[in-house]
Amino acid sequence: MKLRSIHAMWGLLLMLGFASRTYAQSNFSLNDVPELKNKRAIHLILETGEAHGKAIPVIEAFTKKTGVPVQVERVASSGVYGKENVELMAGTGHYDVVYVETSWTTEWSDYLFKLKDLANKVDPGKYASLEKDMANMSPSILATGQAYGNQMVLPFYTFDMTMWVRQDVFDDPTEKANFKAKYGYELAAAKTWDQLHDQAAFFTRKKGEMLKGQPLDHDLFGLSMQAGAYQDNDETTARLWSMDADWVTVQKDSSGKITKFVITKKDKEALKAALTEYKGDLQWDSPGALTANFDFVVAQIGNGNAIIAPTIWANCTTWADGILKEKVPGGKIGAYPTPGGHPYTGAWSYGVAKSTKNPEAAYWLVRYLTSYEAGVRMFKEAGLIPGRIDVMETVAKDGPEYPLGMLAKYHINIWKATGANIPNYYYYNTKAGGKVYDNQIYVLAPALTGQKTVDEVVEDLTKQTIDLQNKFDKTASCVEEK
Amino acid sequence: MLSNSPPLTGPLAEREARKPTIWETLTSERYFRWTLLIPLLVLLAIFMLYPLIYSIYFSFHDWGMQGDPTFTGLHNYRQLVFDENFLMAFRRTLEVLVICIVVELGVGLGLALLWNRDFRGQNVVRGLSLLPLLVAPLILSLLWNFILDFNFGALNHVLQAIGLPKLNLWKPSIALFTICGMTIWQWLPFSTFVLLAGLKSLPRDVFEAARVDGASRWYTFRRLTLPMLTPLIMIIVVLRSMWLIRLFDPLFGTTRGGVNTELLDWITYRTSFVMFDIGYGSAMAIVSWAVTMALCLVMFRQLMKQMAPRT
Repeated sequence: MKLRSIHAMWGLLLMLGFASRTYAQSNFSLNDVPELKNKRAIHLILETGEAHGKAIPVIEAFTKKTGVPVQVERVASSGVYGKENVELMAGTGHYDVVYVETSWTTEWSDYLFKLKDLANKVDPGKYASLEKDMANMSPSILATGQAYGNQMVLPFYTFDMTMWVRQDVFDDPTEKANFKAKYGYELAAAKTWDQLHDQAAFFTRKKGEMLKGQPLDHDLFGLSMQAGAYQDNDETTARLWSMDADWVTVQKDSSGKITKFVITKKDKEALKAALTEYKGDLQWDSPGALTANFDFVVAQIGNGNAIIAPTIWANCTTWADGILKEKVPGGKIGAYPTPGGHPYTGAWSYGVAKSTKNPEAAYWLVRYLTSYEAGVRMFKEAGLIPGRIDVMETVAKDGPEYPLGMLAKYHINIWKATGANIPNYYYYNTKAGGKVYDNQIYVLAPALTGQKTVDEVVEDLTKQTIDLQNKFDKTASCVEEK
Repeated sequence: MLSNSPPLTGPLAEREARKPTIWETLTSERYFRWTLLIPLLVLLAIFMLYPLIYSIYFSFHDWGMQGDPTFTGLHNYRQLVFDENFLMAFRRTLEVLVICIVVELGVGLGLALLWNRDFRGQNVVRGLSLLPLLVAPLILSLLWNFILDFNFGALNHVLQAIGLPKLNLWKPSIALFTICGMTIWQWLPFSTFVLLAGLKSLPRDVFEAARVDGASRWYTFRRLTLPMLTPLIMIIVVLRSMWLIRLFDPLFGTTRGGVNTELLDWITYRTSFVMFDIGYGSAMAIVSWAVTMALCLVMFRQLMKQMAPRT
C-alpha cells in the first residue's frame, strides 16, 4: 500500500512535470531565439505614451540576448501611417520591423514578408514553430492581420472596442429602482442601441440633481463619445457592424478570391441609420464631444462627468480606472460589448519589411514583442491588451479580478462571439484601407456637426470610397449597387 | 592717352600678361555679384525650384506612390473645380486671411500708437508682448486646445469660478473664428512692432508743422501718419497673406480640420500625406501656390508704387 502510494506520487509528479514542461514549451520565450549572426541594427516604431514605453525593457532584453541593437522611434499613432508608408513605398528599408494598424495590412502586403515564408527561412522550427505560438493568439485578431489568407503581421496589442458603464452607478439600488420605474425593465449594460438611448437620457442630469442619492456638483452626461475628426469612423463602424452591414461589401468566389467590392443599398441605408443615431446620441454628450478623441472620453468617465462610453478602446480601461479611483471614490468601470455586440476591432501589430537588411533579427523581434512573455508584461504593467488567448486566460485565472481580470474575460468572450465575421469585413480585405479609413474620418464629421445632412454625407462618402478603392486597389473593381 | 603711357614692367606687367586666376575672376568687379548670388540661386533651385517643378509634374499625373505615375493631363485640375471640400477650404482660407489681416492691422496699429508714447514699464510690456511670437505655433495650438476644451479647459474653469456659463468655442459655427483668434493672438506682436518701428522713424518736423497749422489729431493721423505708414502696412499685408494661406499648425493641435475648419493647407496635407494621393494633392498645392503668387504680386506692385519716389 505504502509502495503503491509512493509509485502513485511519483507518477503524479512526473505527470505534473510533463504538463508544466508542455505548457512552458508552448510559450515562446527569448531562450528560443537562436544565435543571430547578422548583428546589423534594426529599426522600428513604438507609439508615444507612458504605456507603450513599457515595451522598452522588452526590446532591451531582446538586444541583450541577441546582441542586435534596436533603434526605437517614438511616434504618435496618428503619424505612423504617413512615416512608414513613404519608407515602404520607396523601399528604403528604413523600418525593418513595421508597425501596422491591421486595416492597412492588405494595403502593405506587397511590402511585407509573409510570415510563413519568413519562418520557413529563418526559424529552425520552421513555420510549425510559429504556428504553434499563433495557436495561442485570438483567431479573430489574427484574421485582421492577414492579407489574402496569408498572415502578414502579429498582434502587439488589440484595440478592441468595448462599452464602459459606471458599474457602481449601475449597481446602485436607488438608480436601479428609479430606472425600472421609468422604463419598465432592469438597469443593465445596454445590449441594443434603443436601451442605450434610454440609459443615456436617464443619466443626463443637471448640477444639483441626485446621483446615487447624492446631489451632483456638476452637470452629468449620459454618454461620452469620441466624435471629433479623429475616430468618428471607428465609432460608426461599431454601429454599422451591429446592423450586419459594412462600409463596403466584399464579394468573393468559392475559392475565397475577391471578385468585387460593392457598396450595397443595405450598406448605404445602414450607414444613414448609424449616422442618424450617432448624431442623435450626441444630445446626451458634452458639446466637447465634437472635437473629442479617446483621451477626452477617458477624462469624462474618469472624472465622473459621464456614465456610459458606448464605443471606446478597451485598452484605455486601466487608464480611465486610474483616474476614476482618484476622482470618484468608490467609482468602478464595467466593460461590456458595444450595443449590438460587434465592436470595432483590430490590432496594432508588427510585421517584417521585405526591404530589411536583417530579416532574421526582425522576425525574432516580432516574435518576441508578440509573445506570451511580452504580452503578460504589457497587459499587467501598461494595460495594453495583447491579442493572445493564453495571456487572457492567465490573467483571468491568476491576475487581479478588477480591472485586468474583467478585461481578460471580456476579450475571451468577445473574440469567440465575433470571430466568424472578421475575415469578411471590408477593412481587412482592401488594399486601399489606409486611404479609405482616413478619408472616412473627415467625410463623416460634417454629418455629426450638422454642417451637412446625413444623406449628403453618405453620398459624398460613397463617391469618394469608390474613387479611392478603384484608384488604390486594382484587385477588383468597386461599384455602387443601383 | 593710353598710347602715351609708359609700358608696364615688373610684377604688374607679368600679371597683365598672364590669364587671371579663377579667384581673380570671381572677385573681379564684373563677376563679383554673381559670385555672391550663385550659391543662393543654387540652393533656391534645389530646395524651391526642383520641388516646384516636380509638383507641377505630379499635378498632371495620377500617382499613389506605387508603380509609375500615370499621365492624366488636366484631370486633377478639373476635379478641383468641382471638389466641394477643396472649394470650401479655399473659401475658409480667404475668410481667415481677411479676418486676421484686418484685426492684426487694426489692433496692431492701435497698440503701436499707444506704445509710441513713453510710459512707465514700457520695456517690460513690449518685451512680454513679444512672447507669443517666440513659441512654436504647434506648441501654441496644443496649449490653446487645453485652454479652450469645453469640459477641462482653463477658460471654462475660470468662467465657472466667477459664475458664468461655459463657452463652447469649438462649435462648428464659430470654430473658424477661434482658429482666427489663436492666430491673431500669436501674430499681433508682429504687426504691432513693425508699425511701432515705422512710427518711431517718422519725421517729427512734418508733425510739428501740422500742429502749428492747427491740424486736428484725426486729420494728422489720416493725412500724415497713415500715408507714411502705408509701405509698412503693405509689407505686413504681403507677408501675412503668404503665411496665412499656408496656415496649418493651429489646426493640428486642435480640430484637425473638423468642425468646419479645414483650410487649404490642411486639405492639401491630408490629400498628399494622409491619403497619399500625390497627383491630386500636388494639384491642390499648385493652385495654392498660384493664388499666393497672384495675391502677392498684386500687393507687391502696390507696395512698389507706394515706395516709388514722388515727383
